[in-house]
Amino acid sequence: MSEPILSLEAVTLTYRAADHPDRTVLREVSLDVAPGEAVALVGRSGSGKSSLLHLAAGIAVPTAGRVRLAGHDLGTASERERTLRRREAVGLVFQFFHLLPHLSVAENVALPGWIGGLASGEVNARALDLLQQVGLGDRAHDPVGRLSGGEMQRVALCRALLRRPPLVLADEPTGSLDDRTGREVMDLLLRLTRTEGGALLYVTHSRELAAAADRTLRLVDGRMVAEPAA
Amino acid sequence: MIGYLLRSLRRQLQGSRTLFALTVAGVALGVASVVAIQTLNRGALEAFDGSMRAVSGQADLTVTGTIPTLDETKLVTVLADPDVRAAWPLVRLDAAVAGREGLYLDIVGFDVFAPVRYPLGSGPADTTGADPGRLLRAALTTPGWVALTPEFAAEQGWSVGDTLTVSSGSRLAHLVVGALVDFKAYEPLAPRRLAVMDIAWAQALLGRPGRVHQVDVVLREGADPVAVAARLGAALGPGLRVQTPEQRQEDASGLLAAFRLNLTALSLISVFVGLFLVLTAVQAALVRRRTEFGVLRSLGATPRQVLGLIVAEAALVGLVGVALGVPLGWLAALRNLDSVSGTLTSIYVMEGIEHLTLPLRVVLLAVGVGVAGAVIGAVGPALDMARRDTGLLLAPLNLHRATGRVAGRLAAGSVLVALAATAWFLPWGRHLRAGGFLYGFIMMVCLPLVVPLVVRTVTRPLRPRGIGAALALRNLAARLQTTSLAVAALAVTASMLVGITLLIGSFRATLVTWLDTTIRADVYVSTPSWVRAGNDAFLDRPLLDTLGARTDVRAVEEQRRLRVRTADGQHLVWLSGIRIDGPAGEVLADRLPLAGGDAATVAAGLDRGGVLIGEPLARKGGYAAGDTLVLAGPEGPVALPVVGVAYDYTSEGGTAFVLMDRLVAAFGPTAPNNAALFLEPGIDAEAVVADLQQRYAGRPLVFRSNATLRAEVMAIFDQTFAVTRTLQAMAMLIAVAGVSLTLLIQARERAGELAMLRALGATRRQVFTLFVGEGAAMGALGLMMGMGGGIGLAALLILVINRAWFGWTIQPHWPGAALAGQAALVMLASAAAAVYPALRAGLSDAGRLTRDDL
Repeated sequence: MSEPILSLEAVTLTYRAADHPDRTVLREVSLDVAPGEAVALVGRSGSGKSSLLHLAAGIAVPTAGRVRLAGHDLGTASERERTLRRREAVGLVFQFFHLLPHLSVAENVALPGWIGGLASGEVNARALDLLQQVGLGDRAHDPVGRLSGGEMQRVALCRALLRRPPLVLADEPTGSLDDRTGREVMDLLLRLTRTEGGALLYVTHSRELAAAADRTLRLVDGRMVAEPAA
Repeated sequence: MIGYLLRSLRRQLQGSRTLFALTVAGVALGVASVVAIQTLNRGALEAFDGSMRAVSGQADLTVTGTIPTLDETKLVTVLADPDVRAAWPLVRLDAAVAGREGLYLDIVGFDVFAPVRYPLGSGPADTTGADPGRLLRAALTTPGWVALTPEFAAEQGWSVGDTLTVSSGSRLAHLVVGALVDFKAYEPLAPRRLAVMDIAWAQALLGRPGRVHQVDVVLREGADPVAVAARLGAALGPGLRVQTPEQRQEDASGLLAAFRLNLTALSLISVFVGLFLVLTAVQAALVRRRTEFGVLRSLGATPRQVLGLIVAEAALVGLVGVALGVPLGWLAALRNLDSVSGTLTSIYVMEGIEHLTLPLRVVLLAVGVGVAGAVIGAVGPALDMARRDTGLLLAPLNLHRATGRVAGRLAAGSVLVALAATAWFLPWGRHLRAGGFLYGFIMMVCLPLVVPLVVRTVTRPLRPRGIGAALALRNLAARLQTTSLAVAALAVTASMLVGITLLIGSFRATLVTWLDTTIRADVYVSTPSWVRAGNDAFLDRPLLDTLGARTDVRAVEEQRRLRVRTADGQHLVWLSGIRIDGPAGEVLADRLPLAGGDAATVAAGLDRGGVLIGEPLARKGGYAAGDTLVLAGPEGPVALPVVGVAYDYTSEGGTAFVLMDRLVAAFGPTAPNNAALFLEPGIDAEAVVADLQQRYAGRPLVFRSNATLRAEVMAIFDQTFAVTRTLQAMAMLIAVAGVSLTLLIQARERAGELAMLRALGATRRQVFTLFVGEGAAMGALGLMMGMGGGIGLAALLILVINRAWFGWTIQPHWPGAALAGQAALVMLASAAAAVYPALRAGLSDAGRLTRDDL
C-alpha cells in the first residue's frame, strides 16, 4: 500500500483558554487516508469532526500525537509552513460555501491560484475547465450572489480542486442544501475528486451520503469508534 | 435607560479600545483645530484691545491724527467742548532696545499731572514702594525716566536705576528705569512691554516736539459720546479722527477680518473631516451591535429610545473628544503663537500676541462643535436603524449594497447641487464678499457625496490576477459603506492640502517674481524700530548724505511711509513717498509692475503729482486709473489723481505710491524711513554691508543686502503660513485616523473572509499586504479625488477669495515638487495607517469560520 496522504497517530487535541477550563475535543485518534480514497466521517455535533478536519488541514496543531500531511509532520511545522502545506496539499469545502460576494464565480474559483501566485492564464483556464465540469461554465462571470445554494457549493468544489490537491477536506458540504441538491453535490464531489486523483475526507450527518464513501469513520466524544457494518 | 447607556459605553470601551480611541481622536483633533484658531484669533484682538485699554482704557473718546501725529495744541480745542470733562495728550512709540535684537518697548508718554489711569504720584501699583512725590519729581526731572512693568524688568534683568539704550529710527536715547509699576493692576490686558514716561521725554525721544499721537477724552456724565465725537470732529477740522473705543476695536477687527476668517474656515475643514470618523465609527458600532438593538426592540424599546441611546452615546464620545481636544488646541495655539504674532506685527503692523487666554466662550464653542459634530455624525445611521429591521439592515453586506445602490443617486444629487451652486456663484455669488467661502463650502460638501460612485466605477472593471492591488481595490468597492467614508475624508483633506499648497506655491512664485522687479537696489538701510514703529522710525539726514557721498554708492533712493486714511475714513492706506534722482516717475513706473495702464502714461502722471495705487487698494476702494484718491491730510483732504494700478504685495490694506515731493507737499516735510543704495558696477554688496555694519556698529541702523532682504521677506511669507501648515497636519491626522478606523472595522467585519483566505493557504504576510494595499488604495482614491477638489479649491482661493478679501493677484503656479511631496505624504500616511489594522488582520485564524461571517 502506498504512503497515506493523511495520517493521524494517537492525536489528542485540547483547547486551552485562560478564562475557561481545558476542553479536550479529540482523544488519541488515529487514522490514515490513502491517496484516491474517499472517507466519510460521522458523529454527533460536538464529537470533534470539524476539529479533526482542522488538524488535517494544519489549521490546528495536536496537543499530543502526530499529524502527517503528504509526508510532512504538521505538529512540528511552523504556522507559515503549515499554511504553505495546506495551500499545496489541501482543498477545503465548507458547509456555508464561504464565497467572496464581491468576486465573480470564476474569480472565486481562481482564489487559491491567486494566493499561490500561479500564472493567471493557467489559473483562469483551470477555473473555467472546472466550472464547465460542474455545469457552470456559462455563469463564470456572474456575481456569486445570483447563484442558488447548490450552485454556490459547486463553485466551492471547483475552488477546492483548482490546484489539484491530493487531499480534499469537506466539512458537511451538503449541510445547508436540500436532500436532492445535497446528493447531487456529493456525487459531484466524489466524482471530481476521483477524476482528479485526490483523496477525500468529508464530514456528514447523513448515513446515505456516508455510504457513498470507500469507508466510514465514527467519532464519539472525541474518540474514534468502529463503525458498524451497514 | 441611563444605566444601560453607561454600562453599554463601558462595555464598548473595554471591547473596542482602538476603535474608541480613533473616534475620540478624530473628534479631539477637529475640536483642537477650532480651539487653536479661535484662541489665536481672540488673542490677536485682545492684543490690540489690551494695548488700547492699557493706554486709553478710561477714555470715552480718542482723537488721532492721520499722518499719524497731530499738533498738541489741538488739546485746547478738545477741552473747549462743554461735554469734555478731561483730556490729555499721549505720545506712543515703539523703541528698539539696543543690543537685544527683536526687543521693543511700547512707550507711552503722557502728562504726569493729567488725570490718567497711571497716576505715578499716588499709584498703588508701584512695586518699589517709592515715595509718590519723589517719583513724580524724578519722572519730570530725570531725562529718559521710564516706568516699566516688574514682570518685564525681571525678565530682562533690569532694576530701578539701570540705564537702557533704545532707538527710535536712527536716533539713540538713554532711558533710566525710574519705577516698576504693575500696569496689569489697572488693566489686566496691559502689554508686558509697556513703558510709561513723561510726554516731554517721549517727544524728545521721537524727535518731534509739539507733536502727539492721540488725545484721550473723558466726557461729563450723561454726555452722548457719538454726538460729542461728531462735534469735536467738526471743531478739530480735517485730518483728525474722533473715535469711541468700540469704533477703534472695530477698526482692528476689520483689519484682521480676512486673516481670521481664512483660519476659521480652514479649522472647520478639520471638523468636517472629523465628522466622517464619527459617522464611520457609529455605523460600525451599530453593525457590531445589531443583535443588541434587535433584542432591545423586541423587549419593547421604542425606536425613539434606541435612537436616543445611540445619539447619547455619540454625544458622550463627543464630550470625551472635547475634553482632549481643548487642551490639545490650547497647545497648538501656544505652538503657533510666535508665528501668528509675527504675522500680526510684520504684515498687519499690529500688536503682537503676548499671552493667550482660553475664554469660556471658546470652551463652549468647542463643546458645541465636538458634541454637535459627534451627534450629526451619529444621527443619520441611528435614524435609519431606529426605523427599520436592525438584523437585516445592519448586516454588513446589506449596508454596503445599500450604499452601492444609492451611489448613483448621491452623485447625481451632488452634481445637481454643485451645478446649482455654480449657476448662482458665477453671475451673483462671486460678487459677494463671503460668496467664495459659501461656494467652497458647498463644493466641499458635494465632493464626498460622489465618492461612493467613483470608488465603485473605478474599481468595478478591475480584474484581480492575484493578491495584489486590483484585489485591494475591488475589496474597497465591496465594503462601500465604510471605505467611502474613509476615502471621502481623505479626499476632503487632500483637497485642502493640494488647494493650500497650490495657493502658497503660486503666491510664493508670484512674490518672487514681484520681488525681482521691485527689489533692485544693492543695499537697503533701515532702523531696528522700523519693524514696529514704521511711521515714526526715521533715518537722519546727515546719515543719508554720508551714505550718498560714498564712492562705491552710485545713487541713493529714499522712502517715507505714512499710514493714512482715505478722507471718507473707509480705507487705511500706506502712502509711500519715493525720492529718486533722475526721471523719478519713469523709474517708479518701471519699478512697480503695472496691473493696468502703460508705463509712459503712469510715469508722466507721477511726475505731475499723481498716485500709483497698489492692487489691494484698487480692489477694495474700487479705484482705477483716472479716479481720484482722496486722503485725509493734516490740513484737509488731499486729492491725488490715480495714474495707474500696480501689483503690490506689501500690505493687505493697500499701498499708494507718490514721488516724495508730492508727499511732502501734502503731508509736510519729514525724514525718510528707509533708503536704498545702488552701488557702482562691480562692487560687492555683501562687502559694502559688512563695511557699513562695522562703520555704524554703535548706531541703531540695519543694513541688508538685496539677497538678505529677499530672504527675510520670504521668511515672513513662510511664517505667515506656519499656522496653516499646523491645520493641514491636523486634518491629515484625522483623515489618516479614518483610514485606520475603517480598516480596523473591516478587520472585524471581514473576519470570516480573512479566515477563509487563511484556510485556502494565504499566509499572514499576504493578508497583511492585502490590508496595507487597501490602505494605499484608499489613499490613491482619496488623492485622485482630492487632486481634482484641490485644484478647484485653489482656483477659488486664488481667483475669488484672495481677491475679494486680500485684493492680490496671484499668478497660478504649479509647485510640482511640493505637490509630489503632498501626494507621497498622503499615500505613505494611508499605507502607514493601515499597518496596525493589517497586523490585526494578519492574525486571523483559519479556524474561526462561522456561519454568517461572509
